[in-house]
Amino acid sequence: MTPNDHNMTTYTICIFTENTIGLLNRITIIFTRRRINIESLTVSETERKGVSRFTIVIKHESREEVEKLVRQIRKIVEVLAVFGYLNDEIVFNEIALFKVSTGLGSKPLDVETINQQYKAWVVYWGLDYVIIEKTGNDTEIFEFFNYIKRHEILEFVRSGRVAVGKTEKGLVEYLPEADWAYYM
Amino acid sequence: MEAIANVMPEAIETAPAPTYINGSHALMQALVAEGVDTIFGYPGGAIMPVYDALYDFQDRINHILVRHEQGAGHAAEGYARVTGRAGVCLVTSGPGATNLVTAIADALIDSTPMVCIVGQVAKKLLGTDAFQEADVMGVTMPITKWNYQITSADEVPEVISKAFYIAQSGRPGPVLIDITKSAQLELMTQSFAYERCQSIISYRPRRVPKPEQVEAAAKLINNAKKPYILVGHGVQIAKAEDELREFAEKTGIPVATTLLGQSTISTDHPLYVGWLGMHGNYGPNVMTDHADVIIAIGMRFDDRVTGDASKYIKQAKVVHIEIDPAEIDKIIRADAPVVGDAKEVLKALIPLVTPNDHTVWRNEFRKYDAIENEAITQPELSNQMGKIKMAEVINMLSQKTKGESILVTDVGQHQMMASRYYQFRRPNSLVTSGGMGTMGFALPAAFGAQVGAPDRQVVAIIGDGCFQMTLQELGTIVQNKQPVKAIILNNNFLGMVRQWQQLFHERRYSFVELQNPDFVTIAKGFGMAGHTCNERESLSDSLDTLLNSDGPYLLEVIVEKEENVFPMVPAGASVAQIRLK
Repeated sequence: MTPNDHNMTTYTICIFTENTIGLLNRITIIFTRRRINIESLTVSETERKGVSRFTIVIKHESREEVEKLVRQIRKIVEVLAVFGYLNDEIVFNEIALFKVSTGLGSKPLDVETINQQYKAWVVYWGLDYVIIEKTGNDTEIFEFFNYIKRHEILEFVRSGRVAVGKTEKGLVEYLPEADWAYYM
Repeated sequence: MEAIANVMPEAIETAPAPTYINGSHALMQALVAEGVDTIFGYPGGAIMPVYDALYDFQDRINHILVRHEQGAGHAAEGYARVTGRAGVCLVTSGPGATNLVTAIADALIDSTPMVCIVGQVAKKLLGTDAFQEADVMGVTMPITKWNYQITSADEVPEVISKAFYIAQSGRPGPVLIDITKSAQLELMTQSFAYERCQSIISYRPRRVPKPEQVEAAAKLINNAKKPYILVGHGVQIAKAEDELREFAEKTGIPVATTLLGQSTISTDHPLYVGWLGMHGNYGPNVMTDHADVIIAIGMRFDDRVTGDASKYIKQAKVVHIEIDPAEIDKIIRADAPVVGDAKEVLKALIPLVTPNDHTVWRNEFRKYDAIENEAITQPELSNQMGKIKMAEVINMLSQKTKGESILVTDVGQHQMMASRYYQFRRPNSLVTSGGMGTMGFALPAAFGAQVGAPDRQVVAIIGDGCFQMTLQELGTIVQNKQPVKAIILNNNFLGMVRQWQQLFHERRYSFVELQNPDFVTIAKGFGMAGHTCNERESLSDSLDTLLNSDGPYLLEVIVEKEENVFPMVPAGASVAQIRLK
């Protein structure tokens, strides 16, 4: 976190690429060279075979600089398309897993509150612990974190953001259909 | 597609079943199919199978053995700059590859097409810290347009065709291919077939501009009262010199160039006003603040051109014609961006612009020319006393060669003097390291330029500091009998750094004075003729001797020890703060 954190806007950058070795490196050096810290990064294959989707979250004070960043990423040969989004332009989510102690003498777990108030689910019952899954945006996850920390948290892990643009246009609209046939 | 050749004669004797060529021969076949006739290289362990294949291809590919891999890189750059085709380097793994790094970075920033083929340890040794293993993919990722590691022979044809396509299309740049020794040795599992790459799905540089962008640009240009064309390297890369001239002549708009844009338009053209930048001409720099429309073509508003970018051309509307969309709005916001190849854009733009004259506006530049001429140019050229000045050497060279040589310069004061005083008459005649400012560039680049342009006279202008960074390439020049003419402007100083120390660090000369060797003796040791000129009276004869020599020649000129290059826009200042002294 930088001192100017309150001036920062969160941007979600979605990058569609060919699936080749080393591409992650090629993309991230564009951020590091400009001293832009990556808040989270998620990569997965898309509905098109051989096409990967990177979802990278950054905070930045200048929209102009983010636009320049996007254009630099677009220059990478294997990059098919790049979109930069503000939070209100996307539907996004993260997933968090909590390993919580339920050993002898520990506070009993209020599963009903966890389910109904926090929309979190116990996905694994161990002998003296449980694993709880919580999906949501980072605020929701940290609200739950603050609730569940009354129990002993043995492990906590949070995924990067996944996001889909709210616009009706899918990626296909940005590239000619004929080209996409290549990946079908 | 028919296979070009799929079996080697010796393979037929030993193998009854169909045998396919190995990765090294595939590489040679691919280079031949791509039309490569010249390679600059240096052998070593991890590239030996390729050199073995090269032995069979000596009649089709001229391999030039350099003395250091950096020399191969700069020679390939020089070759590429004068031919417009990718320069090809072939080196071994580890130190061979890392020695290329400076040249690759230089090629990237100056948009020079280059294909570097680099040996790598066998696939099974990758990541084991094997002998001469370096992570060359990782090292070169930020400084290449594209890089790729070949780990199987079957990949060779497609990857090589992609490499050349990427290096030479769009905004050109360096491509590096890391090829494992195992891929070089392994046999292909199919016949060799080569198809030149025509397009890549995820890489589509726009050549032909969008009509609406051209129309918007034309509208701004047609309504301009004080329009001004700034020409970058992109015009020569696009071979759009004729279109540029036609565009300028139709509209009557004055033309200035960047450092790398020089020689795009003849310096005696009435619309040419000079060059821009830190040590560019007075008028062209100052007048950027008076134009109402700036038409920037194939240039990227480098900080050496803009000075303080926050104060640069604030009053003007900007038409930015550029093939690389990432350059639009990067430094200077464009009111009318036109993405496309300079030649295609100008062809589309010329019919849309209205004929004009702009005589009054153009004459404003001439006022500044007179000031610069009186304050700097005439004093530098009319010396009768004291040591020879760099300006005199370049000016005399320009007269003797009628401005028709290819000038290859290193980096520093002599580079700026060469740009100031050489009167370029032909396009594609200045090869210099612009963006990277790589000392040691000139000698190997001049060699590469001479190989690429055998019918032209190539003159390298080199500083005494720069020369000592790559002087071993004298050996390459002599061995290959290339008639490169090298002029060392020797002031026994790292002159540009000394100038800055004088002007901005109260003459605290910190490690800039050089005790130099006898350069002529060194040249002679390499088998190259040369002599030293120390007196104004013999300068003319000395240049004649240099220019009339049959083979390569080295002329050392002892110049004024502490001379400064002016005009000068101090680093970080606005162009309006340009200094004449």
